[in-house]
Amino acid sequence: MKTIHLFILFVLVALIQLFVPAQMIFNQENTLEKGTAYKFRTEPIDPTDPFRGKYITLRYDINAYPTKDSIWEPQQDVFVYLKTDSLGFAKIDQVSKAPLETTSEYIIAKVNVYDKYQDVLRIHLPFDRFYMKETKAKDAEIAHRKAQRDSLPNNTYALVFVKDGTSVLENVFINDIPIADYVEK
Amino acid sequence: MQSKIIKELPDLIKNEVISKEVALKIESYYRSKEENAPNKLFVVFGVFGSLLIGLGLILILAHNWDQFSRAIKTIFAFLPLIIGQLFVGYSILKKKSRTWKEASGTFLFFAVGASIALVSQIYHLPGDLSSFLLTWIVLCLPVIYLLKSHVLAILHIVFATYFACESGYGYSSSGSSPWLYILMIALVLPHYYMLLKQNPKANITSLLNWFIPLSATIVLGAFVETNYSIGFLLYMILFGLLYNIGKIPFFYAQQLRRNGYLIIGSIGTIVILLWTSFTWIWEDLIREVVFFSNEFYIAIALFLGALAVLGYSYYKKWMKEFHLFQYVFVLFSMLFFFGFSSETIPTILVNVLLFVLGLITIKIGADRFHFGVLNYGLFIITSLVVCRFFDTNMSFVIRGLLFVTVGFGFFITNYWMLKKQKQILKK
Repeated sequence: MKTIHLFILFVLVALIQLFVPAQMIFNQENTLEKGTAYKFRTEPIDPTDPFRGKYITLRYDINAYPTKDSIWEPQQDVFVYLKTDSLGFAKIDQVSKAPLETTSEYIIAKVNVYDKYQDVLRIHLPFDRFYMKETKAKDAEIAHRKAQRDSLPNNTYALVFVKDGTSVLENVFINDIPIADYVEK
Repeated sequence: MQSKIIKELPDLIKNEVISKEVALKIESYYRSKEENAPNKLFVVFGVFGSLLIGLGLILILAHNWDQFSRAIKTIFAFLPLIIGQLFVGYSILKKKSRTWKEASGTFLFFAVGASIALVSQIYHLPGDLSSFLLTWIVLCLPVIYLLKSHVLAILHIVFATYFACESGYGYSSSGSSPWLYILMIALVLPHYYMLLKQNPKANITSLLNWFIPLSATIVLGAFVETNYSIGFLLYMILFGLLYNIGKIPFFYAQQLRRNGYLIIGSIGTIVILLWTSFTWIWEDLIREVVFFSNEFYIAIALFLGALAVLGYSYYKKWMKEFHLFQYVFVLFSMLFFFGFSSETIPTILVNVLLFVLGLITIKIGADRFHFGVLNYGLFIITSLVVCRFFDTNMSFVIRGLLFVTVGFGFFITNYWMLKKQKQILKK
């Protein structure tokens, strides 16, 4: 193959290499800008990813939905439609295997398992990782545990922007203070 | 090696082994050869430099600098990627040397990783490590072919293995089979094939001769989801396949240390046989094996592959003599299905098979005057004895005598071979 052809091919590959992260950014920015913000009650714990650093794993209060429909496969996509409760936190309105004709926002989550004994569908929300500065991740976990003990219950929540099934985790708050700032105090 | 020969020359002249003219000719021959060859050290240092810088970059970014705004962090995500791309583009356009291509390719590989890692951090993207690794290697795959880069091929195999382990063995992913791993390896095989054709004796080729079978051995277990007993059969067939590939004259004619297929295949076969030489393994088998599962189909596919290599070798008349090691996987597969009716017969047969393999290896070692092979055979028999030491009800005296006998065996065979070698040298 001629050098110029090789080079043209490489330029194409380089463009794809640039396009993939750019596309990731674009989708997220679009959701952050135009999406609806929801607060999800959560509970953080802190592990490490070898390439992306420290993060806290978030477990959400809304991880189950009572339904009589028992035909669900683990890891199957599930459309989770949202509403807010009286305190402004996100609640599951309904779940579905396919998109519904409705204006309310939804998240595409994964099915964990269908619990036959309690007739509930256990789901896994996609925004389960919050990357943090490595010096703060452990403290964040401890801070949350303390906050949980000394004041009102469920004062930790994740702020998530949702638009057309895409969800972007913007920040995690403890007592309405961003977790990174809360830890610094 | 070459400088060693040149250093020896004065000594050879002094002792009148060669004349001065011959020594000069030898020296000029090696000097001219050195000038023509590119400096391998440059490539190695270039690659290691890029590797360390790239990895360092990823680690620095993994700190998650939260004092920077999202815009600045985004710039940082693209900066190394663009620098890497400029270097690679430059080395393609200017037809730069091997060193340039390998070093810039390695840097670009890690720059791509750093870039998508940083984007995932900025937006807290979901997705576990395995999906991240997959995106990474897919984005870098074409560069292997554009640069004809061997280091990138190795990085690709290493990271594909990492991906398969993360998605197949990880407890978080509910242990799903990493089917995409097979595709990833298949996509790098054309490069490997070209390398085998053009540079069969290069060091990088022998590295790949080790990395590919090693990667397959590491990953195969990730395909075992629930049927753990079939794992034994799967691995035995894989090692049979690897061994038979290693026996193909193209690999077999090379030095043993370059033939990863043969060594991994042979040692793997022995390990699985030693494992299944215990009765309790076969007792569990009877209870556990499920037919017509995923694992079962993989076993059939691997078996057909190994059989195809064996048949092709036979057709090409590569097999000059009967070599039991090449057929162990067939015998074992038959035993495996036989094992459902009784656990004693397969146990005894596996023990006999191991013993015979040990003896055959010792004989081959003795015939070829190869101390390594001879002692490998003795090692097989010793391991067999050690395994039986633990699970039989033999009296301690008999077990003791067995050990003493094998110990003497080591001494006598090695001594006998040394003596024979000396005799031949004298003649």
